[in-house]
Amino acid sequence: MSVTVKNNSITPVLEEPPLITGNQTFASITEKISSITETKPGKGWALGFSIAAFLALILFGSIGFLFWEGVGIWGLNNPVSWGWAIVNFVFWVGIGHAGTLISAILFIFRQRWRTSINRFAEAMTIFAVICALIFPGIHVGRVWVAYFMFPIPNQMEMWPNFRSPLLWDVFAVGTYFSVSLMFWYTGLIPDLATLRDRAKSMLRKRVFGILSLGWRGGNKQWKHYELAYLLLAGLSTPLVLSVHSVVSTDFATSVIPGWHTTIFPPYFVAGAIFSGFAMVLTLAIIARKIFGLEHIITINHFEKMNKIMLLTGMMVGYAYGMEFFIAWYSGNDYETFTFLNRAFGPYAWAYWTMITCNVFIPQLFWFKKIRRSIPAMFVITIFINIGMWFERFVIVVSSLSRDFLPSSWDYYAPTIFDISLLVGSFGLFFTLFLLFIRYLPMIAMSEVKGVMPQADPHYYEKHD
Amino acid sequence: MKLDSNNLQGKAYWRSLDQLADTPEFQEFLHREFPENASEMTNPVTRRKFLTLMGASIAFAGLAGCRKPVEKIVPYVKAPENIVLGNPLNYATAMPFGLNSYGLLVESHEGRPTKIEGNEKHPVSQGKGNRFTQAEILNLYDPDRSNAVYKQGKRASWEDFKAAWEVLYKEFASSGGEGLAVLSQSFNSPTLYRLYKEFKKVFPKSTWTAYEPVSDENVYEGLRSLSGKVLQPLYSFDKAKVILALDSDFMMSETNDIPAARGFAKGRAVKDIKDDMNRLYIVEHNYTVTGSMADHRLRLQWRQIPAFVKALAGELVKQGLDVPGVTDGGSSSFDAKWLSAVARDLRKNKTRSLVVAGHRQPAEVHALCALINRALGNEGSTVAYTSVDEAVLPSTGGLMQLAGQMQSGKVKALIMLGGNPVYDAPADADFSAAMQKVETTVHLSSRVDETSAQALWHIPAAHFLESWGDVRALDGTPSIVQPLIQPLFNGVEEVRMFHLLATNTDKKTYDVVRETWQKQLSGKDFEKAWRKALVDGVIPTRVRRSAKVSFKNGQINLSAAPFNAQPATAGNPEVVFQASAGMFDGRYANNGWLQELPDPITKLAWDNPVLVSPRTAKELGVSNEDVVSLRLNGREQELPVWIVPGHADNSLTLTLGYGRTRAGRVGNKVGFNVYSLRSSKTFYGAEGASLTRTGKTYTLANTQDHGSMEGRPIVREADLAEYVQNPDFAKEMVVHPPLESLWDEYPYDKGYQWGMTIDLNTCIGCNACMIACQSENNIPVVGKELVHQGREMSWIRLDRYFSGNLEDPEVVYQPVACQQCENAPCEQVCPVAATNHDEEGLNVMVYNRCIGTRYCSNNCPYKVRRFNYFNFTKDYPETIKMAQNPDVTVRSRGVMEKCTYCTQRIERAKISSKNEGRELRDGEVVTACQQTCPTDAIVFGNILDPESQVSKIKAQNRNYELLAELNVKPRTSYLAKLRNPNPELENYNA
Repeated sequence: MSVTVKNNSITPVLEEPPLITGNQTFASITEKISSITETKPGKGWALGFSIAAFLALILFGSIGFLFWEGVGIWGLNNPVSWGWAIVNFVFWVGIGHAGTLISAILFIFRQRWRTSINRFAEAMTIFAVICALIFPGIHVGRVWVAYFMFPIPNQMEMWPNFRSPLLWDVFAVGTYFSVSLMFWYTGLIPDLATLRDRAKSMLRKRVFGILSLGWRGGNKQWKHYELAYLLLAGLSTPLVLSVHSVVSTDFATSVIPGWHTTIFPPYFVAGAIFSGFAMVLTLAIIARKIFGLEHIITINHFEKMNKIMLLTGMMVGYAYGMEFFIAWYSGNDYETFTFLNRAFGPYAWAYWTMITCNVFIPQLFWFKKIRRSIPAMFVITIFINIGMWFERFVIVVSSLSRDFLPSSWDYYAPTIFDISLLVGSFGLFFTLFLLFIRYLPMIAMSEVKGVMPQADPHYYEKHD
Repeated sequence: MKLDSNNLQGKAYWRSLDQLADTPEFQEFLHREFPENASEMTNPVTRRKFLTLMGASIAFAGLAGCRKPVEKIVPYVKAPENIVLGNPLNYATAMPFGLNSYGLLVESHEGRPTKIEGNEKHPVSQGKGNRFTQAEILNLYDPDRSNAVYKQGKRASWEDFKAAWEVLYKEFASSGGEGLAVLSQSFNSPTLYRLYKEFKKVFPKSTWTAYEPVSDENVYEGLRSLSGKVLQPLYSFDKAKVILALDSDFMMSETNDIPAARGFAKGRAVKDIKDDMNRLYIVEHNYTVTGSMADHRLRLQWRQIPAFVKALAGELVKQGLDVPGVTDGGSSSFDAKWLSAVARDLRKNKTRSLVVAGHRQPAEVHALCALINRALGNEGSTVAYTSVDEAVLPSTGGLMQLAGQMQSGKVKALIMLGGNPVYDAPADADFSAAMQKVETTVHLSSRVDETSAQALWHIPAAHFLESWGDVRALDGTPSIVQPLIQPLFNGVEEVRMFHLLATNTDKKTYDVVRETWQKQLSGKDFEKAWRKALVDGVIPTRVRRSAKVSFKNGQINLSAAPFNAQPATAGNPEVVFQASAGMFDGRYANNGWLQELPDPITKLAWDNPVLVSPRTAKELGVSNEDVVSLRLNGREQELPVWIVPGHADNSLTLTLGYGRTRAGRVGNKVGFNVYSLRSSKTFYGAEGASLTRTGKTYTLANTQDHGSMEGRPIVREADLAEYVQNPDFAKEMVVHPPLESLWDEYPYDKGYQWGMTIDLNTCIGCNACMIACQSENNIPVVGKELVHQGREMSWIRLDRYFSGNLEDPEVVYQPVACQQCENAPCEQVCPVAATNHDEEGLNVMVYNRCIGTRYCSNNCPYKVRRFNYFNFTKDYPETIKMAQNPDVTVRSRGVMEKCTYCTQRIERAKISSKNEGRELRDGEVVTACQQTCPTDAIVFGNILDPESQVSKIKAQNRNYELLAELNVKPRTSYLAKLRNPNPELENYNA
């Protein structure tokens, strides 16, 4: 009827390559993703789960022993009162950044490619934050009174100290965790309803029936749902910046050279996104391979993430450089010493590990070939994960081990329990993650469908 | 609660040494019992088991049958006079130490002594203490003390022993004591001496020998060679302008250390640029605390020091002084410039100079020093002599003779009163074997130690805090030793034992001691005088100081061997034995406080490596913690190496007092027993050692890894001349932008505002404050492994920094405790507000509120906060619990702790001033560290009061605050250190 008929053959040059490949239909997407949760998992999953659960048991065993004996089982000493526990905390909180970033910020910026990975990333965020939250909880000397940290009305009329950044942490990470959980759950509702509708057993019907909160998929529901999702995305966006900024104040507000730096908040946020993306990618590469999701999570997704890592990696590198510059430029002898000590002191090995992993290796992403090579990026993301763990180690430990008075300098070395807790936390993380991909739709079906060509209201008009 | 001693008795199996002979299993068990615990202390792999340190269980503590004070849970129905519950009482007593004694005031809580301080009226302690006096409290409550008489390892009773002695007594009395020998420690006590005389009267043919592994025997010998008399030199360091110390650590390890350090500090105190300061030269082979205070230090092999003294005497003669018997110093390789500058300085300060030699130097050196002091006219001003009358002097030769007689079977019965000869006798005495040849051996000892284990009879000795007795200080001042508590472990008092030996009757020691004094205090109202003696802790006597003694044999043989010793070479290094700063001769081995007290120079705790110079280590190809095998006189000992900057080359220093096998759960198998290398002929130093690497390494625990200040203005120091030129040098060493706050700060302008100053110019680094603090504030001991990890708990620590070159550095000390910052960084970061400021400016810790995030410790720029990584106090034996100060919380696991400026003392003083309706007076609150500091380097008080001592000191120009540039506003400030080098030796590097 119209005078000009849109010619399908004239594809604008700048149009993105399709986000979902393989001629998927709504039905095939539903089938592909739902069936993973409905069929018995393969041996790979079972093996992975056993290993992860075993490591998680090590975590809980170590925590039990820790509670029994006291934090002395760690390698802490007088100048270095925070060790791996806090390193792990910051590391896991950092990992937990990608989820919200992908979900909320990319959502607000209408980055439609996020749909294939956002569920995944959000779940990862939640599990990472769970792992993170364990550490500040268990690292205190008297766990049985750790609740003093919370502003609970009490007969002593005693409030926590609101000037302490550790208290800010409690609020920041707590808020982040609850908002991330809500956001993740809200996004899950339509998919949970899909699983409910496909459920054959009574148990699945009941469980998903309750979890999907009566979702019918009506227009009004979709309208409220999308508004809620948008609002939550808006709420989460500042959190991406605030959480790690607040975590960084644990260090930045102190007087210790190497900690007392105003660059910390942006530097920590950039580092968090950097590490979070690396972790999402590591996991996505594995899951995609195992569950055959190559058409839904495509190489284009990976390339975009690699670009973000290249960017944030350079931001982190800039921060490293700027710290050195300010240490020299400030003329503060303690500061200057601290940074020289980082690069050339007893922890130089950790420093150069960090620089290599975080600054040098990600430069490979300048090459398109490497950006699009799955094995290459897999290895690089592992390096980034290692490097980012070391970044926190360098900040926490090397600054403390040599501060103002040389008489109190001492070297910190971890014990077996430091190691078992870190390894165990990975166990817990993967346990939760494997349970998630086994029982919940790991890809947001409803959102993926929204970015498929078929979702275009005019899609079918093209075939007249 | 009353402990049922009958029920506990069965648990005393480990003491039942009879079983030792019976079954091999038990033998092994016995052997393992404590060494096993101890091996965990030294084993870096196991965790904190040591914390049972003071621990293990009560069952093993040998409580069985102990006469523990009854613990009542009901209040006194009829309150004893003078006791107000919660208010401690102080009693004066005295602590015998060799021939010397320290006068003490002991704080007692409801009959339980908890803290030892110096008695101001006593000439040797002058109100102050050292590490040993402070640590005696822990010795009193040592759960490893023996609690019964043992015969052949079987539990026996005091009655059994008395019966056995009666037989011997009669037998020997008839033979005049032929074959009866007594081996005691040296003592200087009227009552003991009286009983000793009585014993000699009954047994004229018996031998009585006194032995001390570390003593002033050489000093007495040297002076005897001149005067024919037993003379005790008494030095007045405060009057000396120029002091030359020859191998003499007179501030810490020589006799009369407290008066020496006090006097030295007095001569060093500088209030303003107008004040003068003494000058200290030292010649020594190993760095000592005294060496660190020196203005000029000459690093010289130990064996070269006699030759140096000879050369000095020659130089003095050359400069016109008359030293009898010295014509010239012979040809010497010593630095002529140094030598002549020192000689000139001494001569210029005639009558105000002082030359002192250490106890390790041979008698000849002491004689020559006495002649030099006389030539310099120092007698009467800085040097005086007093005769030592009622004392039995130590004699290594006597011990060797005794051992010989024992070997040849001439000794039928050997009574050993204290001491531990099996452990600490020279190796060539082969005392252990000699003991086997003696039919009856009796050992009076506080524990079943190495000697008691081999003796027929073991008699448990009471601690001096449980005993009646008397002692004389070296200047002759007598004190009554009065008990603070009944013997906890059935101990037998020394006087009781002496009395039994001499008279074959068992008498109350109180009566025996009074008997002595009834004669001495005759002519007065005895009861009054006696009571006054007990209250004062000293008996006023005319001190028989004589400036002039006749040196009738006043000749010195300069051709004697020591004066002509050849320098040690790489192929033939010398070995020097030193008493341990903590263990002394080994007697404190089971004292956890002293084991954990770092050596002032090496900062090592829990060990005694062989100390070498950096160059020697390089030549030998060894580094720190390498284990070497040291051969000397055909005997061998493996031990680790530690490099000490400033140590003489080709010289090896071995520390006595470690490697005990039967000290108790703390001291067993700690360190290495170097007595095995010591012979009577080369008692303090030997040559001909060879050292080979074993390829093994051994972990040593030190409390300070880093010895350089890294160019930071931490300890601020200047020469006197520089200070005069620029009196504010200390403050000007740091330039920083104006320190401003973002908000209005609390003014702290009302009431008392507490502050402290520490004078680095008079702090000698002697560690006394560390033990005083540990005792006052119930600070736990953590063991070697945790010290190695950096978890020692000391609230006050002594930082030691080296400066200058590695071969010949200078050493400075800085005591660092919580600085009580007004702007405390720790407070701001605590999430639960467990550390806060009170209105008097104290940074207080609320243990109950602390959850242990350790954030405060991280943010403390001084790193003075200490964390309870484990429950260090949970397994304290009952007796150790008694040693705790009831005014201070005993901390549990997971809380942070730190110096509180002894807030309990502040509160107690405030309460009493409030009761009396007045303000606190300056000096009324004395912190534990300040109280014991022999040099009064620490001053505490109200900084708002402009008349207080602390305010006046803070107004001095040397005053500076450590890390003030962080705007933390510390309440503790330091007074910069000064040195007073001889201008002649300026920029001179010996």
